Amino acid sequence: MIPFLLRRVVQSIPTLLLASVLIFFVIQLAPGDFLTPARLNPGISEQQLANLSQNFGLDRPVWQQYLLWMGNMLRGDFGLSFQYTQPVLDVIWPRIVNSVWLVLLYIVLFYAIAIPVGVFGAVKQNSVGDKAVNVVLYFLLGFPSFFLSLIVIYGILLLRNKTNIDIPLNGMTSDNFDSLNAVQKVLDVLKHLIIPALVLAVTDAAGLTRVIRGQMLEVMHADYIRTARAKGVSERTAIWKHTFRNAIVPIVAGIGGLLPAAVSGAGFAEVVFAYPGITPMLLTAINTSDLYLIAGFTVIVTILLIVGNALSDILLAVVDPRIKVG
Amino acid sequence: MKKALTLALALMGTSAFAAPFVYPAAWTAEQNTANKRGGEFRDYTISDFKTFNPFTSAEATSIPLTMGAGAGLFTQDPRNDEFIPKMADGPATVSNNGKRFVVKIRQGMKFSDGQEITADDWVTTFKIHTDDKVGSNSYDSFFLNDKPITVKKINTYTVQFDFPAVSATAYATMSYTPWPDHVFGAAYRSGGAEGVKKLWGLGTAPAQIVSPGMWVLSSYRAGERAVLSANKSYGDWNKDSRGQALPYLATYSYRIVADLNAALAAYLAGQLDAYGPRNADDLAQIKRAIDGGNLKAYLKANVSPQASSQWITFNWNKASDPAKQKLFRDVRFRRAMSHIANRQAMVQLALGGLGQETYFSTYPIFKNQIDAGLSAGAPQYKYDLAAAGKLLAQLGYTKKNSDGYLVDKAGKVLEFTLSTNAGNTTREQLGRIFADEAKKAGVKVNFTPIDFNTLVGQLTAKGENRPFDAILLGLSGGDNIWSFGSNVVPCGTNLHSYNNPTDGKCATSQEQLMTKLFYQGDAELNTAKRLAIGAQLMKAEGELQPVIYLVGGSYHVTYNERVGGEYPTNLQNSYYLSRDTALTFVK
Repeated sequence: MIPFLLRRVVQSIPTLLLASVLIFFVIQLAPGDFLTPARLNPGISEQQLANLSQNFGLDRPVWQQYLLWMGNMLRGDFGLSFQYTQPVLDVIWPRIVNSVWLVLLYIVLFYAIAIPVGVFGAVKQNSVGDKAVNVVLYFLLGFPSFFLSLIVIYGILLLRNKTNIDIPLNGMTSDNFDSLNAVQKVLDVLKHLIIPALVLAVTDAAGLTRVIRGQMLEVMHADYIRTARAKGVSERTAIWKHTFRNAIVPIVAGIGGLLPAAVSGAGFAEVVFAYPGITPMLLTAINTSDLYLIAGFTVIVTILLIVGNALSDILLAVVDPRIKVG
Repeated sequence: MKKALTLALALMGTSAFAAPFVYPAAWTAEQNTANKRGGEFRDYTISDFKTFNPFTSAEATSIPLTMGAGAGLFTQDPRNDEFIPKMADGPATVSNNGKRFVVKIRQGMKFSDGQEITADDWVTTFKIHTDDKVGSNSYDSFFLNDKPITVKKINTYTVQFDFPAVSATAYATMSYTPWPDHVFGAAYRSGGAEGVKKLWGLGTAPAQIVSPGMWVLSSYRAGERAVLSANKSYGDWNKDSRGQALPYLATYSYRIVADLNAALAAYLAGQLDAYGPRNADDLAQIKRAIDGGNLKAYLKANVSPQASSQWITFNWNKASDPAKQKLFRDVRFRRAMSHIANRQAMVQLALGGLGQETYFSTYPIFKNQIDAGLSAGAPQYKYDLAAAGKLLAQLGYTKKNSDGYLVDKAGKVLEFTLSTNAGNTTREQLGRIFADEAKKAGVKVNFTPIDFNTLVGQLTAKGENRPFDAILLGLSGGDNIWSFGSNVVPCGTNLHSYNNPTDGKCATSQEQLMTKLFYQGDAELNTAKRLAIGAQLMKAEGELQPVIYLVGGSYHVTYNERVGGEYPTNLQNSYYLSRDTALTFVK
């Protein structure tokens, strides 16, 4: 196991280096820089623009900017965000934490929906229930999550107008959050998280449900399951212990992607629900060409992707004894 | 009699202990006679706050700007635009031919942490803003035509400003917010610019933030909400006309929303106290909510013009295409283009009827200047395709080809490319209308919306061969004292968009005249004389038509009826906005 991990670490160095070059230069391909909008301000003189450009290091050639950035990063310094004039990590860290809460709840709900529904579909293949679930899932599969979010928001507004039930529409906390005690604070945040997490889980579950259903069906018709049944194991054991455990292998392989997904936020759902996660901030950073913020964040996600993949390799070995890590 | 006595006493007392600043009763349409106190004004902003540091902040809506509200040596009276002493104890003593201002500051003013506000705070603030390593957005406001202004401490309660030249905007320049010397001065002396930049990032505990103005930060949740509470020290030297401490409100909060649609939704749901309607659609939604009884709010459309401009500029530095350069430099061509601009259609179609036609760089909100220019005979080349045709015929464009486009003797079509920033739907419509009308007149306009950053790069490019034909864009910002752009009018400046050669020299005598008039007006202290100089500038600009001004949008006001204390209707406009938050109260 240890040689495997060491090998992974060594392999990741050139990968990261190449990724960092790509990240930095692809960002540079976009026209203009952080100061471009300022050039249209009648109140800012050329002298001032030159000062700022020098302050941000924008007056240097791109390769010099890259080397400087890379050098600092090796020392754990991701550079300063132009907009915030603060270290990149200080800026993105609170946002990442917010996103992680949302994504964790989403993942729990995602598996809590996808696994039972997928197993149900396989066990009751072609029943009315299976077909009904399939229709609904097909429908959801084609729905972008942000669009579903908008519909849900509209629904909540209607509900509020009719019944006065106060379901939070956006944000992560209520106006009176600061005056709540610890337990109330947790409940308050949960109240804000549940709708976006549920919307995301429902739209995404469709895909996984179908994978699980297919895998289960395949395994259920395998010889060893028939043998197990013939030996008289209960239906429950046959499904959950023998079939499900074997059907789950491709899902475990995908777990590696969860780690970077957790910090990359919940995408447009965060925007629609005005959730203070990483996505809205990243979009602003792209809009304002906040170079080091975008580059720093992308590097962190790349690192997590590499770590996540190593983790899922290890998990695979745990689930499937045929795969050996070494 | 009692009033006179109080006034006399107040005047006598100035040297010993300064009297507070009294907000004129005329600044509010609704007196807070019941002395209602407390409550929260719920505002919104569409982008997350980036810093609490007043020296590195560059946002339009920012925490330092909000905290510092109401703190400045002078403030402009919305009734007559005059500057009146605010943190200053009285009018400035002017000497050295109008270039030196000695200002006594009100005694007894305190920062939110209880420290006294003194001359040091102004001097330190000035020093940090003008250090180019800090990168302050206010850097330029301390320079006059590239020459620095200096700020000096005479004694604890006296500051001296020395201007390199006479300046009409001197009072605005001096009215910057003083930040605490005991925080920033100390950091600057020990750590220089870097020391200042490190202070007051988003991670700083609100309790450490110190404010001279109306508000002080009480909590901030990134991407969600900022809550500011009333600075108690502010009420010591700011009173309403009945002697009550200001502000009345206990809290001012910003909800950070994804975009203006989200803000509108929150306003309609009664979760915000004010909203800035953009267009007819917004107004209709708000009106429907009010009529339907779902929202108790005040709504007034077309309160005043916006303080911004939309225009088309032609590139005079096009060495790669001498024929086009000659064309763009010909005043008859540009006048023809102004005749082609169907501004009425632009107002109706692109602005939904909510706006006005514009012909000058001065924003229509600055009505005094516009009136002065028009009465001095500044020309307006209004929509008239026949007149445009005549001018183009003088340029040799008399024949049309089979497609209906004008051609010169060599058979070359009269055409140019017009760009604007993609995604700005209003500008895309303005450009489309212009191109359609141009086609009627036989001019082929290749209208192409492009990326904003690329566009700005083209517009601000310098040299003999700049990379565009014509650009449709807008500007905003500026004041109502001298309403011409210091970066726009003089030759060689950044946004002198039509002519920007390497040496920055003027190409025509009118440009020279405009440059001269700009500095002359900037240095004229007498309002009437300054308006007259502005009128001459507008006349030169109108005749030259270097930039074709198109239309301007309107400013609309709406706010929840639970809040009171707004300006009287006649004082509300896009420059002063709808209220002074010091006088705002929750009913």
